[in-house]
Amino acid sequence: MGETNFRVVRIVLLAFLAVWLLFTLFPLYFMLVTSLKPVEEINRMVPTFWPESFRPGNYAGIFADPGSLKSLIDSLIVSFSNTALSLFLGTLAGYALARWMRGAVGENLAFFILSNRMFPPVAILIPMFFLFDATPWGTDSYISLILLYLVFNMPLATWLMMVFFRDTPRELEEAAYLDGYTPLRAFFKVTLPLVLPGMISVAMLCWIFAWNEYLFANLLTGSNVKTFPVHIPTFTLGSQTLWNLVMAFSLVAMIPPVTLFIILRRYMVRGLSLGVVKG
Amino acid sequence: MSTQAVPGDAAADADDARAFAGRPYPDWFKAKGGGRSRLVSWWVPTVMVGLPILVIVCIVIYPTVWMFYHAFQNTNMMSLFTGNWSPVGWANFATVLSSDRFHASLTHLAIYLTFGACLQVLLGTALALILYEFVRSNVLKTVLLILLVLPMMLPPSIVGVLWKFLLQANNGAVNHLFIALGFLDPTQRIEWLDTDLALWSLTMADTWQWTALPLLIVYSGRVSLPPAIYEAARVDGASRWLVMRRLTLPMLREIIAIAFIIRFMDAYKFVDKVYVMTSGGPAQSSELPVFIAFQKGIREFQIGEAAAYAIIIFVFAAILIVLFLQYLKRVLKAQGL
Amino acid sequence: MARLELQGICKGFDEPVLDRITLTVEEGQFFVLVGPSGIGKTTLLRCVAGLERLDAGRVLVDDRDITDLKPYHRNVAMTFESYALYPHLTVFENIASPLKARRTDPAEIKRRVGSVAELLRIDHLLDRRPHEVSGGQKQRTALGRTLVARPDVFLLDEPISHLDAKIRHELRRQFHQLEDLRRVATVYVTHDYAEALSLGDRIAVMGHGGLEQVGTARELFEQPATLFVARHLGQPSINEIACALEGDGDGLMARARGADLRVPVAPRHRQGLAAVNGTPVTLGIRPQHLRVLPPDTTPDGVPGEGGADAGLPVIEARVEIFEALGAIGVLLAEAGGVSLTALTSPDAHFEPGQPVRLGMETGAFHYFSRETGQNLHL
Repeated sequence: MGETNFRVVRIVLLAFLAVWLLFTLFPLYFMLVTSLKPVEEINRMVPTFWPESFRPGNYAGIFADPGSLKSLIDSLIVSFSNTALSLFLGTLAGYALARWMRGAVGENLAFFILSNRMFPPVAILIPMFFLFDATPWGTDSYISLILLYLVFNMPLATWLMMVFFRDTPRELEEAAYLDGYTPLRAFFKVTLPLVLPGMISVAMLCWIFAWNEYLFANLLTGSNVKTFPVHIPTFTLGSQTLWNLVMAFSLVAMIPPVTLFIILRRYMVRGLSLGVVKG
Repeated sequence: MSTQAVPGDAAADADDARAFAGRPYPDWFKAKGGGRSRLVSWWVPTVMVGLPILVIVCIVIYPTVWMFYHAFQNTNMMSLFTGNWSPVGWANFATVLSSDRFHASLTHLAIYLTFGACLQVLLGTALALILYEFVRSNVLKTVLLILLVLPMMLPPSIVGVLWKFLLQANNGAVNHLFIALGFLDPTQRIEWLDTDLALWSLTMADTWQWTALPLLIVYSGRVSLPPAIYEAARVDGASRWLVMRRLTLPMLREIIAIAFIIRFMDAYKFVDKVYVMTSGGPAQSSELPVFIAFQKGIREFQIGEAAAYAIIIFVFAAILIVLFLQYLKRVLKAQGL
Repeated sequence: MARLELQGICKGFDEPVLDRITLTVEEGQFFVLVGPSGIGKTTLLRCVAGLERLDAGRVLVDDRDITDLKPYHRNVAMTFESYALYPHLTVFENIASPLKARRTDPAEIKRRVGSVAELLRIDHLLDRRPHEVSGGQKQRTALGRTLVARPDVFLLDEPISHLDAKIRHELRRQFHQLEDLRRVATVYVTHDYAEALSLGDRIAVMGHGGLEQVGTARELFEQPATLFVARHLGQPSINEIACALEGDGDGLMARARGADLRVPVAPRHRQGLAAVNGTPVTLGIRPQHLRVLPPDTTPDGVPGEGGADAGLPVIEARVEIFEALGAIGVLLAEAGGVSLTALTSPDAHFEPGQPVRLGMETGAFHYFSRETGQNLHL
């Protein structure tokens, strides 16, 4: 009796999962389908769920516009630079907070750093514009975005790295000291390898955010630097949006994050859970 | 295997041959003043924490100060350039707090937080656990995980645009899908982006995208739970439901809370989708407070008011988050973590 | 090869933990520090290792003041209670760690690690990771890591307390045999008193803030300086009876408080104790100093055949519990309202309630001040 009950429950729950999966995949499916349609087909009164005629050439067409490739490259530059910087600063601060600043001072500092992420970006939009405008490199530059994204990524990196460092036992570092390693060498030999999965998951989270950011990029940059979310709205013909190109490009832009996720997912899972379990 | 003679007060001395409880602290201890001693010079941690803080401060301080300053002025875009503004005290704040538009947006925010952020965490948790417990093959688990996480990989702005495209009343895919499935007559159309439904559509799009994050976090957490406990439970013959309720969920409580905080922190300040999908409309029916701040600042050029909005929002959210963190700390202490 | 000297070590956290501790460990001496958990043994080791900064006092190795040196500059090696093995490195790499820190040449590293591993019989595990080996093997890896470093001082923090009894015995034997260990000043920390007694050249019993007593196993056992020391050394534990001393003609009697038991004070103790006549004392009687006498003895002594039991004061007791534990028998008997533990042969038979006579070797009893715990006749 319990056995049948269990089977029923299992089926129901799996059905639920399946429904959600369909819900998740449908828009993506439609994206794919739309990306393969010719222009005339996309805005029909009754949309087709399967292309009547295939235009894989759409994908090549995106890159006919040199701006497309540049935008992907710009996005790569900004996201990798920012991730590296956020991770570096976050690791520094996180380590210091985890090892040496446990008291009230440390907690307050940690909260101060974290609170920056809570800031609505909107609030600082205008003054940010003026701030970067006044600098020698101006608003429309890689540096402005890289620095700007720090405001959101660095606190996250700091907080998570702090948690990960707290998880690595001090004793291992102490054993290394007694072996004769200075704190710096001990860090690289003992602490860093242990915290690597965590670092990777932090890096991925920061990277995805930087890769996908639209608002600031749109408002601050546009010509010198154009990340891909800013470039996408340019796929228009007169007043009509070329949805097939928009979808195609979006799918192409999904490839880096998805690939990274597939490759790094073990680290992400281990890293996220490590940090979060003791968070 | 020892027995003591008449206990009396001999046992009270127990192991305290020279207990400090009885003696005054020695001088050297009093002079010391407590605290741990470190192995590295004092300036090392200072620099390590100081450098990032310095970076933040440089980038954020100026805009923050600027914003606080102008919240008390009557600045607008024009006067910004002519340098022509004057202090108005709390007037901006008053305007904001009394505006109907703001109140409406608060309602919208409440709806969004409940059916957006909260729902995402609940759904994400449920899905993560179902995926972990009930899907047998490991390969399938991985494949499904990747598929379920895909929405997170798109820029929120694209997601907004995508859903706008899908939810078009006349030739949107969703409506026609419903027709094809028989939920609607061929002549019926759901006005997804109309004043009634705009906010809900927005929420739906957001949930579509972000349920994946709590899902990923809780799934990761579940993976890392020690298997020994589950073995013990199985040996004891506990039902799966009991195991879930009494073992899994309590252990995951912290993780779920963290997922919630992350979503909450991001949710109340999200504006990308609103901007591209509904522009707060139609007729401000899907406006969220942060979006209004944005509009006021960038579109309507009421800088002072926009600044006041931002501050109010931030303070409000900060209070909520701090309260939640305190609650979380208390819960964790009770659990002995 | 060096001598370790601690001068007036003071260390405290929220509370003072080490209060002006002074001791010397000679070259090649195996010094055991024993005491209850949490009393500060590990803290003391950490101070010597340099992992804690002293609040006051100095540490000298071979008359060199190393107090201000960082742990990575001191030539001190320590094993941690948790072994602290690097989980991401193999056993080989773990042991090789101190040598790599000194940037020793790889061929030399291989040689030395190999010989240490062979000595500790873990040479077949060199490619494994710490989580793939057993507790005893982990402990030997940790030990190997300290041996290979050839330090001036060895610090061993409860190295075998988490292992099961059989392995503990074997490793204890290895400690006795490891020449390398025996050549260098070694401080060994444990909470197991039996272990301390068996291993140590010199043993220090640690109490709150300081050392209760330092001496050889024999000294500690036979002449405990305080009740604390007496209580913790010896199995089964010493009988403790709160008493008041009373004059009784020429002699002194110790009368148990709240009970009827009266024990005559041996002549050799009378002088030292006469001064404290009337003050409360704790009488300590080791179970082996209470002899179960054959039933035909008289109240005031043992007749004729005597031998070792001749002339012992006797008390009447009633059996409460008897346990035969392999090599010994432990008898719990109640006399004059006080429960006493005595050692007997395991072959004896006792029924609960059975009357029994106990001969008391009062000359070996101890008297401790109730206030300070000091042994009153040392």
